[in-house]
Amino acid sequence: MSAERAPGLLAGDSLNLRLARRSLGLIALCLVLLPFADLAITTHDPWAELGRMISGLLRPDILATQSLPHAIALTIGFALWGTLLGVVLGFPLALLFPRSRLLRGSCAFVRAIHELFWALLLLQVFGLSAVTAIAALTIPYAGIFAKVYAEILELTPRAPVDALPEGVGRFSRFVYAELPMVWARLSSYTRYRFECAMRSSVLLGFVGLPTLGFHLESAFREGRYAEAGALLWVFYLMIASLHLWGHRRLLPWVALGSLFLLGPWPDIDGALLWRFMSVDLWPKPLLDGDLAGLWQWFGEIPDLLPAIGNTLLLGLMGTAGSLVVALLLWPLACRHFGNRPTRMAGKGVLILMRSTPELMLAFIFLLMLGPSMLPAWLALSLHNGALIAFLVARHADAIVPGSHALPASARYTYELLPRLYGGLLALLFYRAETIIRETALLGMLGIATLGFHIDSSFAYLMFDQAFFLLLVTAGLNIAVDALARRYRPREIADTIGEHDRSTGEATC
Amino acid sequence: MRWLVACLLILVSTAATAETFRFTAIPDEDQSRLEERFDKVANYLEDQLGVAVEYVPVKSYSAAVSAFRNGQVQLAWFGGLTGVQARRLVPNSRALAQGQEDAEFRTYFIANHDSDVDTQGDDLPKNVQGKSFTFGAKTSTSGRLMPEYFIREQFGAPPKSLFSRVGFSGDHSRTIALVESGAYDLGAVNFKVWDAAVADGRVDTDKVDVIWKTPTYPDYQWTIRGDVDDRYGDGFTGKVRKALLDMHDPELLESFPRQGFIPADNDDYQPIEDVGEKLGLLR
Repeated sequence: MSAERAPGLLAGDSLNLRLARRSLGLIALCLVLLPFADLAITTHDPWAELGRMISGLLRPDILATQSLPHAIALTIGFALWGTLLGVVLGFPLALLFPRSRLLRGSCAFVRAIHELFWALLLLQVFGLSAVTAIAALTIPYAGIFAKVYAEILELTPRAPVDALPEGVGRFSRFVYAELPMVWARLSSYTRYRFECAMRSSVLLGFVGLPTLGFHLESAFREGRYAEAGALLWVFYLMIASLHLWGHRRLLPWVALGSLFLLGPWPDIDGALLWRFMSVDLWPKPLLDGDLAGLWQWFGEIPDLLPAIGNTLLLGLMGTAGSLVVALLLWPLACRHFGNRPTRMAGKGVLILMRSTPELMLAFIFLLMLGPSMLPAWLALSLHNGALIAFLVARHADAIVPGSHALPASARYTYELLPRLYGGLLALLFYRAETIIRETALLGMLGIATLGFHIDSSFAYLMFDQAFFLLLVTAGLNIAVDALARRYRPREIADTIGEHDRSTGEATC
Repeated sequence: MRWLVACLLILVSTAATAETFRFTAIPDEDQSRLEERFDKVANYLEDQLGVAVEYVPVKSYSAAVSAFRNGQVQLAWFGGLTGVQARRLVPNSRALAQGQEDAEFRTYFIANHDSDVDTQGDDLPKNVQGKSFTFGAKTSTSGRLMPEYFIREQFGAPPKSLFSRVGFSGDHSRTIALVESGAYDLGAVNFKVWDAAVADGRVDTDKVDVIWKTPTYPDYQWTIRGDVDDRYGDGFTGKVRKALLDMHDPELLESFPRQGFIPADNDDYQPIEDVGEKLGLLR
């Protein structure tokens, strides 16, 4: 960023130079690998379909969806109970977290599998029920809460504990001298997780659970755009009005009320559950102890290496693309640029891009550009770039400008960006893991990532293959997260606080 | 918090209610007002069978199969391949009835006009090679299994090496939209869905049209679990079959959409099973 001040090009050891080297390295790596990505544009005439979409979004038909209130209530109910149970499981785990390597590993594993894939897995045993939906959120969230709560607890100030008289029990010490010090952070993080859960809960509809996403996906898929438009607006409104109905006094009642809607609860067939866990998920040759057969089983997994390659490539391209989008878009929502109406519009655009499910963005680009990696790349970059831009704009709003005489371009380049860039990059590196998890989802759209093959394996009811591919995906995510952590600008990460609002939002 | 969990447990424990007979249908046609339409079918079955009947909406082919496998539904309107998958997973389950059209079902290959593929002949035109092509859902009989079978039979090669690109649109309506927009040059669709889309004016036949109709094969059918006689009384399976065959109200049949239902059994679907195994979609 401040390359011109350096004696040699980008040489030197200052923080900004290191940040610049890392960002340019990321973009260079992306450019070098770009020829391996399939980026052809093949569409001839997308305008008829796009016109129908736009007119649907502008003239939404709110009455077209049956049982809309029920779907809304279920979306909220699943999100709320998924988060609550995640807290109930995650909090005790957080206390053990620093002590057990096994626990840390297991938490990393459950986090690394996307909620939708958990849902596909649980669907086989619990069917299309609230158990599937809530567990699909609870399991990964418990892993996330365990880790984040543990990190928050680690930062507890020591002074109150030291001030306690001798002989105070461990439990009293925790409740009276440690917990109150971090309570605000814990509860604010939990709150952001709930927002994430709302988005995930809508997504669960895409695999058939009866949330808003169920109707949204059907309407969109079948070209009933007036209905899809209405559902999208409902979704945006739900997210935007969260602070109104998501009050801490109101939530217990919402939670209780939603309980009456969540049924019917499935009869859990113990034999089926056992067979699924002990037989279906494992390769048959492995259970038979047939090593040669296992090798053959391995050979039947379609295109594993290209799929891993595609997943990593799309993840890298998505991360680099998000960086560019975030750099371009953050001034849209920032108080230092434009006037009130442009800022409102800019904020609106960013929130829309960030809240529209990536799968839908990708489908719109698929229509416009034809099948290749390009639609997925654009969808990932816009969705994640807009999120980061939004958070960066909020950081920028907190900066008091030194001189008003600067023109906008100078304010952007010389005054604000140098102060914001570290934070932006830190958020991007936090986001990298989420981006790679999302590439798996876009596989459902036909781009041959690992997610594409996982989806196929579930469709062909080859659960052993699906499970193996899920393990590979999880391993890949854990590796990417470790890498991102290594290259994350650590000094900045510490100053903006690991668990402040933005980082919480950047990881969901 | 604790009492919330307690309430949850109470709800769970009281949820084992009287036996309701549940059915589902794989999502292949227009899903608007789906519940409204299928609730009418549920009412009809309730009158005929004398037990409470409920329709369970599902999103994907595999969700329908796992609902059937888990016993969440006892009866399902499956596609050819999904029916075979389901019957392999649930012992003693059987095909009861198929639509009048299903004994002789077809797939249409459609092409965008700009793709310059010769129109309708007895075979799939030779110059489809090198074009981009999309199937429907991965386990759709008419959108995946049979078109892939006919492609392999005619060209002696898998679709991947024949076409420049092979996609899975996930849905027949989407296949039509993607080929119409030119995102893909070619696609394979369920002929019923195509005919309905043309009749409703939802597709511009100046931009996309049928280039080949496949030979016929058996497709959709009603499949019932083997344990229903134990759960709902002797002869229940027979009652369900009779109710299905006696369904003549056009308003009800429109949901499928079929002219009426005719008897079918598991053996009718042997050809589908053979093809599924050959293509590695069943094992």
